[in-house]
Amino acid sequence: MELFLQTLLNGLLQSGIYALVASGLALAVGVVGIVNFAHGEFLMIGAFLAWALSAYLGVDPLISLPFAALAVFGVGALTYRVSIRHVLLAPELNQMLLTFGLGILLQNLALIWLGGNTRTVTTPYQGSSLSIGELSVGGPKAIAFGLAVLILGALYGVLYRTTLGRQMRAVAQNRRGSQLIGIDVERVYLIAFGVSCGLAAIAGVLVAVLLFASPTVGLVFALKAFAIIVMAGLGNLTGVLWASVVLGVSEALVQTYVPGGGGWSDAVFFLLIFATLVFRSFRGAR
Amino acid sequence: MTATQINSTGTRLQGQDLVIENLAAGYGKVQVLWDVSLRVAPGEFVAMIGANGAGKTTTLRAVSGVVKPSAGRITLGGRDITRAAPSQIVGLGLGHVPEGRELFPLMTVRENLELGAAMRPEARAVQAQTLAHVYELFPRLSERAGQLAGTLSGGEQQMVAVGRALMGRPSVLVVDEPSLGLSPLMTQTVFGALRAVNEQGVTVLLVEQNVGLSLRLAHRAYVLENGQVVKEGSGTELLADPAVREAYLAL
Repeated sequence: MELFLQTLLNGLLQSGIYALVASGLALAVGVVGIVNFAHGEFLMIGAFLAWALSAYLGVDPLISLPFAALAVFGVGALTYRVSIRHVLLAPELNQMLLTFGLGILLQNLALIWLGGNTRTVTTPYQGSSLSIGELSVGGPKAIAFGLAVLILGALYGVLYRTTLGRQMRAVAQNRRGSQLIGIDVERVYLIAFGVSCGLAAIAGVLVAVLLFASPTVGLVFALKAFAIIVMAGLGNLTGVLWASVVLGVSEALVQTYVPGGGGWSDAVFFLLIFATLVFRSFRGAR
Repeated sequence: MTATQINSTGTRLQGQDLVIENLAAGYGKVQVLWDVSLRVAPGEFVAMIGANGAGKTTTLRAVSGVVKPSAGRITLGGRDITRAAPSQIVGLGLGHVPEGRELFPLMTVRENLELGAAMRPEARAVQAQTLAHVYELFPRLSERAGQLAGTLSGGEQQMVAVGRALMGRPSVLVVDEPSLGLSPLMTQTVFGALRAVNEQGVTVLLVEQNVGLSLRLAHRAYVLENGQVVKEGSGTELLADPAVREAYLAL
């Protein structure tokens, strides 16, 4: 029983980062309408920013987090202005080629400048741990989860309680209708894409603390984020939260209960995409 | 050039004029409008009729700034809006009830209506009164206020589309095919509301397939064929015109 609870807790904690990455991706897909294959690379930029600020200036990642978020928001907004904006009306294949190419470009720039090694960030709370009754949690994991919950709370607060958030949801649901009631759709796209990248960067800072920074660190998170938004239903912003928990907990269960499960857990998201798509098509066919 | 009246809730609505001169527009290489000129005076109710593909919807989209004209001029209350962005044009007082309604399906009726006022400060300031006025115009919408717009019937959705445009306190309302897919009874309700809105001083430009009904409702009308205005006159004149009767009323 204790093992089971510990497993659930581990899964839940892991889902915080997943939800951050996937919410960002859901904004790009749902609001802007672009499938951003470079999403993981914006996470990677965040991870390297946290590492660089810590290694060269001695700034704790938790302090550099807002700066990384702002900087990558800027990078994202600029990316939107110079590239994404021009393919929004192009066929989907062109859009995918563009973001795929952007991803490869960013990854290889990182390889050239920083090399392929993994870089770890040392923090004073690295070895700490928290215990709740019989269960125990690593300090960094708990901090990362707490921050993720805070930031997601703020994000959904903005989406559901502010005029800007309402505009974003309106654009996600009906672009033409939004235009005709006077929403500046271009501006909403720019902000949504910037926020999308900023969220990826925040996740990147947390990943740098929990794991490491490397040119390819974003890939697996981006893939999992795709699995999550497929589970939630494309463009469904609230569904992303529970889908992240489903993925995190499933992975934890596989790690604990499947023999040699550590290796299998990274394949769980494939299984979940598969199951979701099969389920959807059966339901649709009926 | 404005016409002012007091409506039932005591708020003032002002009509402005809408003038289109020698408008040409299209999509990519396909030119749809060749030479469209029309004028809607402040507080006037004008209908635009014509066959499918004549360019009625494109004309309204050019007015809203969604389609960029290749030639010609559009003014709203004397201000040139030919190259303005859709958001600016809404700010100057245009309301657009689009073909196909274009609602926000996962938001409630009330949220849809409130968004209609969100982008104009002067509309947001009087949002509560306008909302009451819209509910008075369409009592059905106050019953459905908490329901998701995507789950409404076609007629109710059309009411939300009209209501959402009115929430922006427009001085000029353009309405695209409101009767599409509606029962005759529902059509009467929606047209009755448009007449009421016009009587409160709002300028209305209506595009309709239902030629008989719109000609009876409108002060004046224009006939559009292949992207050109081929005829204009008062509603009763056009209703009596043999060519119009044959082409659009099959009489």
